[in-house]
Amino acid sequence: MSSVCVIKYAGKNKGKQLASEKYQQLLEIGLKTLSGESKISDAVRKFIPSGVIGMKVNCLTRNLNSTPVPLTDGLTKILTNTGIDDNNIVIWERTNRELEQAGFDLNASSFGRRCLGTDTNGIGYSADFYTSGEVNSLVSRVMTDLVDFNINLPILKDHSIAGLSACLKNMYGAINNPNKFHDNNCDPFAADISNLEPIRSKNRLSIIDAIRVQYNGGPGYDSRYLGFYNGLIISTDPVAADRIGLEILEHLRKINKLPTLKQTEREVKYLRTAEQLGLGVASRKNIDLKVIAVDDTGQQSEVELL
Amino acid sequence: MNNKLKRRSFLKCLGCGTAAMLAPQTGILPEIIGGVQNACAFDYSTELSSVEARFYKKLETGGIECGLCPRHCRITDMERGYCGVRENRSDVYRTLVYGLPCAINIDPIEKKPLFHFYPGTSAFSLATAGCNVNCKFCQNWDISQSRPEQTNNLVLPPKEVVNIALQRKVPTIAYTYSEPVIFYEYMYDIAKLGHKNSVKSVMISNGYIEEQPMADLLPHLDAIKIDLKSIREDYYKKTVNGELKPVLDRLIQIKNAGVWLEIVFLVVPTLNDSDDEFKELAGWIKNYLGVDTPLHYSRFHPQYLLKNLPMTPEKTLQNAYDISRAEGLEYVYLGNLPLHPAESTYCPGCGEILVERKGYNISKINLVGNLCQKCKREIPGLF
Repeated sequence: MSSVCVIKYAGKNKGKQLASEKYQQLLEIGLKTLSGESKISDAVRKFIPSGVIGMKVNCLTRNLNSTPVPLTDGLTKILTNTGIDDNNIVIWERTNRELEQAGFDLNASSFGRRCLGTDTNGIGYSADFYTSGEVNSLVSRVMTDLVDFNINLPILKDHSIAGLSACLKNMYGAINNPNKFHDNNCDPFAADISNLEPIRSKNRLSIIDAIRVQYNGGPGYDSRYLGFYNGLIISTDPVAADRIGLEILEHLRKINKLPTLKQTEREVKYLRTAEQLGLGVASRKNIDLKVIAVDDTGQQSEVELL
Repeated sequence: MNNKLKRRSFLKCLGCGTAAMLAPQTGILPEIIGGVQNACAFDYSTELSSVEARFYKKLETGGIECGLCPRHCRITDMERGYCGVRENRSDVYRTLVYGLPCAINIDPIEKKPLFHFYPGTSAFSLATAGCNVNCKFCQNWDISQSRPEQTNNLVLPPKEVVNIALQRKVPTIAYTYSEPVIFYEYMYDIAKLGHKNSVKSVMISNGYIEEQPMADLLPHLDAIKIDLKSIREDYYKKTVNGELKPVLDRLIQIKNAGVWLEIVFLVVPTLNDSDDEFKELAGWIKNYLGVDTPLHYSRFHPQYLLKNLPMTPEKTLQNAYDISRAEGLEYVYLGNLPLHPAESTYCPGCGEILVERKGYNISKINLVGNLCQKCKREIPGLF
């Protein structure tokens, strides 16, 4: 059984980008709910005990629909309030260019929150191959050497081959040869990549940004198929988080009169494979889901997922 | 923005791993740099190219379909094909490696290997990052399995490449090391410009390319070496991550076009080293390409994802040689076996040694033009 907490923003700015303060508020509620702790610092320490913490963002679509900077700012605030040195926080992606184009300020220095691409001088990829099933890859040294734990921060997207792009698919950005692993709707590759050590053991928390959802035409940006769910999906189980994300994606497709992913021959098979690898829970009946709506006053109420 | 590196920095950068294959012959490089750029600098690019690719179509449903290789990748905005060097940008397919080689060197033509193509000459050899297959035994995986932003790339437009060849008096340009199919547009433009300037072009390829792109390219090439990885579809699926059939079709297409063709077969212990496979291979070449098509059996060294296997035993290679000769193939060679007699070319008529090779060195040529000096038999190839 895995737990997933979905926090929905139900305030008057619904349908717009959120500010970092709002993200911080939603994240605090979500993390406390997921952990069962009443204090946010205890909740954070339950997931991330100590050390250097990575935040793997997804910047494929530049500033159009990448992991929002305010989400990382809100999360950074929570972590630093917990006593984590901001220099021990590393926002990372494949390349510096992608980060910059998505609006992040690069910083590889010893001061302040770090933000860097794997292509930063002195980072690069592991010298040795990591192997799991069908995948043989070099892994970003951010993941192998630089961070002790990682928080996976994808956005919820349709994917033209995989069907779904969220937690597992975001880890394609951690390896040197992602283009080799898209056959057969990314199955079993998406599962195998997340099963590579140290990706598997260092990924401690997944937060899918489902405020805006590219429910069709992804993983690039297509304004015709951009919907608003206004929620964050939070879990320690990336497979379960993806499973809930998939439900939201299919729902948005349905209300917009689009065929299911299966009907478009993009059934998301890799979640079942990931479950078989022990990466998490793909079966809905084994997911303990809590959905909480939060309005502008901070009032919380339990609601349905869809 | 391009960062211009001074010669010293450039060499330092090469030393850091621009391309592994440069290392054994780095002695040549300062000469190239000095000769071409007045001992000053190459441009080294952190930018990728954005030249529109050829051979793709836009899909009605959005996205594009690449038509360059049999993979026919369907790619939506901001995504790349399997090769990792072609990207859909707003439904215009772009090559990211045009004019950006990550490996250059001057090699003996025997290293390609091309044994019936002006023996003893050299080729200005280049490669970009990327490949359209993923052979588990790849010897150049550090560039072939990389994306272009992961390699250090020189800025070397086609005109510069041809100029280097002319100034260094190198008669041939070789597209090699990784897989030239994936830098098709760059290769095409260099080859075309090279011919205008009497510089030849040879393609060292896996042959995993569609018919039309190959047809367009053939008039601009002088020789092709194809790595036929196996004669079994199953091996292509499991070990190469490609398909056999299109490669066989291209071999026939090249032969019919009259472009000089040689074949290399890497013998990997336990995977493609059975007597049956050697016999099947030789039989196919005999039937579809002719007994005068040179076949090079090459020794496998544990690399990349096949470090668990041993080097190919010499006995296995000798066996492959014997079977192929018994099947009637006239020019069979053994590669990566320095000083083995099967490195040399022999006249099928009188047995005279025609080109004696010791490693990459030519110690004797007993040919008059294309004729055996002794029995006057015509030897196929370009001599």
